[in-house]
Amino acid sequence: MAGTNRLNSPAQFSAVLFEIMKRINLGVDDLALLEFRYALESLLPQGGWETIRLDSCERIDQQIGSREFYESIQLRPREGEQIVLDERIADMTRVLFAGLVSGDYSEAWVRQKFYFDVRGFYFLPRTIYFTDEVPAHFGGKPYRSFEQGQRRLERYQGVGYCDFQEANLEIDRAFIEIIEKVVAVRGTPMLITLAGPTAAGKTEITERLCNELKTMGKSITSIEVDNFLLDREYRDDKPMGKESTHFELFMSSLRQVLQGKTTTIPRYDFVGATSSHDLKGNLKPGCTPLVIEPADVIFMEGNFPFQIDEIASLIGIKVVYLTDDPIRLKRKWKRDIDYRKKYDPAYFRNRFFRTQYLRAEDIYRPLMKVCEIVVDTTGASLWVTPEILKTLQVID
Amino acid sequence: MFIKNSDILQDQEEFSEALFERMKSINAGISELELYEFRYCLKDMVPGKGWETVQLEATNEIEARFNNREFYGRIQIKPRVAGKIVLEAEIIRLAQMLFVGLVTGQYTADWVTTHFFFDIRGFYFLHCTQYFSGAIKAYLGGAPYRQFEQKQRQFERWQDVGYKAFKEANAEVDQLFMESVKKLIAVRGVPITIAIAGPTAAGKTEIVDRLTKAFGDTGKTTTSIELDNFLTDRDYREEKGIHSEGKEALHFELLKQALQDIAQGTRISIPRYDFIEATSSHDLGGHLKPGRVPIVIEPAQIVFIEGNFPFLLEDIAPLVGIKSVYLTDDPIRLKRKWKRDIDYRKKYDFNYFRNRYFKDQFIMAEIAYRPQMEACDMIVDTTGAALWVTPEIKRILDGS
Repeated sequence: MAGTNRLNSPAQFSAVLFEIMKRINLGVDDLALLEFRYALESLLPQGGWETIRLDSCERIDQQIGSREFYESIQLRPREGEQIVLDERIADMTRVLFAGLVSGDYSEAWVRQKFYFDVRGFYFLPRTIYFTDEVPAHFGGKPYRSFEQGQRRLERYQGVGYCDFQEANLEIDRAFIEIIEKVVAVRGTPMLITLAGPTAAGKTEITERLCNELKTMGKSITSIEVDNFLLDREYRDDKPMGKESTHFELFMSSLRQVLQGKTTTIPRYDFVGATSSHDLKGNLKPGCTPLVIEPADVIFMEGNFPFQIDEIASLIGIKVVYLTDDPIRLKRKWKRDIDYRKKYDPAYFRNRFFRTQYLRAEDIYRPLMKVCEIVVDTTGASLWVTPEILKTLQVID
Repeated sequence: MFIKNSDILQDQEEFSEALFERMKSINAGISELELYEFRYCLKDMVPGKGWETVQLEATNEIEARFNNREFYGRIQIKPRVAGKIVLEAEIIRLAQMLFVGLVTGQYTADWVTTHFFFDIRGFYFLHCTQYFSGAIKAYLGGAPYRQFEQKQRQFERWQDVGYKAFKEANAEVDQLFMESVKKLIAVRGVPITIAIAGPTAAGKTEIVDRLTKAFGDTGKTTTSIELDNFLTDRDYREEKGIHSEGKEALHFELLKQALQDIAQGTRISIPRYDFIEATSSHDLGGHLKPGRVPIVIEPAQIVFIEGNFPFLLEDIAPLVGIKSVYLTDDPIRLKRKWKRDIDYRKKYDFNYFRNRYFKDQFIMAEIAYRPQMEACDMIVDTTGAALWVTPEIKRILDGS
């Protein structure tokens, strides 16, 4: 192996790796070598870097493209009292470090397949959202593309909302305009669903859309799909869908609201992980449901498989709001760790690593093939179906 | 008296919005948050029974409490609720009082910022520790030897501070300090022991690294000793209730012997402290434990000793040639520690980290830093961008 001797001296190894990593992630350049070494310390292999066994690129490719790999990631492996990084995750980063230093893996290959998060100090596989079927569904090319404002965030270790909003200024504006036009042409009441991965910016864009539509004189109501979840103990880790929600209530509530009637829906308590309603759909004693007033535009935010037949016909516009994994991870560090202090950092790292692939496969990719609009904030591209395009042309 | 504002205490939304505005004048960095982000942070601090139940103390009572060592002595660093480490009750109480007092107007922003600083990432108030007493200033000739533009000001808005930015901000005062040390050594000759004392995350290790490199370039041999390596097992110290400052916390005899030996040009073998396990390579009798490896240090012309209190102990001080204190103010050190110990080293539980930092600064200033400042040769105040030296050192530096 080329450069094996570099692996024998930890000081030399870290100095060489530091230079390579600056090219893998520009943000590493903001660190001093001393800081890089602090961060590297927790990943030092017991027997030294020379003991790391490198897998072939094909083998790694296969691994990061298989569901089983992600399913085998533990969220809370412990060493004593402490939750630690899952061993497979730590090993993957070690292998890539060693392979980059020895020259067995090219930087181009590593960058194509993985991204490196500076604060988490680990590699994560890049999740693919745009399969070939997606552009085909949207007529082959994006409706509009803008300058990729999020490029600026590549160096950052955490991304706060002010920076994020500024980076997405143009695409968000264009997206809001489309919705306004479609609502104007097609009329109300209209149900709009908005799905997207964690920390993609769903809540913020929904809030802004609501405000804009209100200034157009429309009445708005919004429903969080999570409120229809069953008690956690009945869901057995099933992905969100008919089986894991009060689906009958879900359907009847939607119909009622769309007919201009006030309706009550279940209320999900995130702390207790319980629903206000029992399995038969009856209100539990002592619980209060949520009351939903009828409105011109009803927003439904959450990660429900909105494409399933029974509901797809009720929905006016299905939107998928996407932001790439590296940016979402940095938003989550800031929001859930710095501000909310919600998670143990090791649990947080394990969970983000584990869930992106699985959720893309279960929720986002299937939905993207059939939805009306995809907002890709990182790519700064808006994709709309030919039908939506026709609607827009009525106004233009 | 404050009835006009009592409504606001009952409406959480209104309260957080008013507080958000007030807090922007307490810490400029708050302006970089969105209101909803601020609310996320605030959530943990909302009193169970509402803001209107928070009892405010008079300002003089608060001042008295926060200038009293016993108060800090009582702060628990690992209080637990249902197995999880939580933020200390006194810390929450202080934040709640100041939040409410700022919103109702009972506490002015001026008074709050005179006595406390607000750390955004920790989302809590901490007492401003005073390092320079009147006596210390008098001992150092009443004014700094030199002062530069205070470039750490730019960090006030930041949530954390990395090494590169820190080094850049301190460039001028660091440069002068290094030149001054060189001059002193030129006058006093080698071998010499140089002690760098200072609080956690003040920048001791980095400045020693740079001095080492600077002297290396001029052909001098150097070596450095970290005082922390002389710590005894943490279990022992915690069991005995020894705060990590005195003779009892250290393998003291070994330290004294090592400094004497290396000053005479003898290679030394010293204990190695394992920070992960929190144990020493040596037992309490000062003998190497089976299977452990000591640190071997070759003699050199210049020996640096770095730590929280390298010349606090009477028997050690006479062995030190140049006694310096390297200081950085608490808010900046806390931001450096977030970056270094939480982001990079991933070393601590957040709440343990916040509790411990809150507790330690006052105590350590009183028992370790101010006493050393009263007996040192020079102080680098990186936040004030000032170098302070004793009149005797000033004479040498000015060459008269």
